[in-house]
Amino acid sequence: MNNKLKVLRAMRNWSQAELADRLDVSRQAVNAIETGKYDPSLPLAFKLARLFDMPIEEIFDDGFEGSDNE
Amino acid sequence: MMVSKEATMSDASKPAKRPMSPRRKRYWTALGIAGAFGGVLGAWMQMAQSDGPAIGLALLSNSALPVNFAIGSSIAWVVGMTISLILYHRSVDDHEERAYLWAGTAAWYTLTLAAPTWWVLHRASLAPAPDVMLLFLGALAVNAAVWLWLKYR
Repeated sequence: MNNKLKVLRAMRNWSQAELADRLDVSRQAVNAIETGKYDPSLPLAFKLARLFDMPIEEIFDDGFEGSDNE
Repeated sequence: MMVSKEATMSDASKPAKRPMSPRRKRYWTALGIAGAFGGVLGAWMQMAQSDGPAIGLALLSNSALPVNFAIGSSIAWVVGMTISLILYHRSVDDHEERAYLWAGTAAWYTLTLAAPTWWVLHRASLAPAPDVMLLFLGALAVNAAVWLWLKYR
């Protein structure tokens, strides 16, 4: 799953370790999410959304382009 | 001459090191307990093996062990590992939990493939008797390899 984590982190000038501390996860977890090797759990995705003050779907993109009317 | 921004940064400009969170403290405590128990038991086993401390690796030996060591180490292993695992699972983040689960699955598959195959081959006199410790160490090696790959790749 694609995500904007790296961009959002860079905009705040945070290192991976700093973001990991704020989320209370390991730096490896942040790196794995940023590089798309790991999709976070729902609780962690909500934590990210709260931290960046954005909806989850603005941070993560599952590539689905359909609409609710379909 | 161009000087990079990083090169001009002094130590004073680096962010202060944050204190460990309770989760990270529990995590390192769990790993410390597991490492300490493993180290002490391994050294104790090496010293206690009946054919002398300097001969071979005790973990791969089938020689007799003193009763006191067998009882003491069994209790220490179960109690120590239980405490360590409870602390570990209360402190890992979900990225590592996933690595742990896949590593455990891979280790289990190693056992389910190797143990019956070896046993059947032995029953037909095509292989020596199955070695429990070798199977355990094989599964442990697969577990460690998968865990390290998923956590640090």
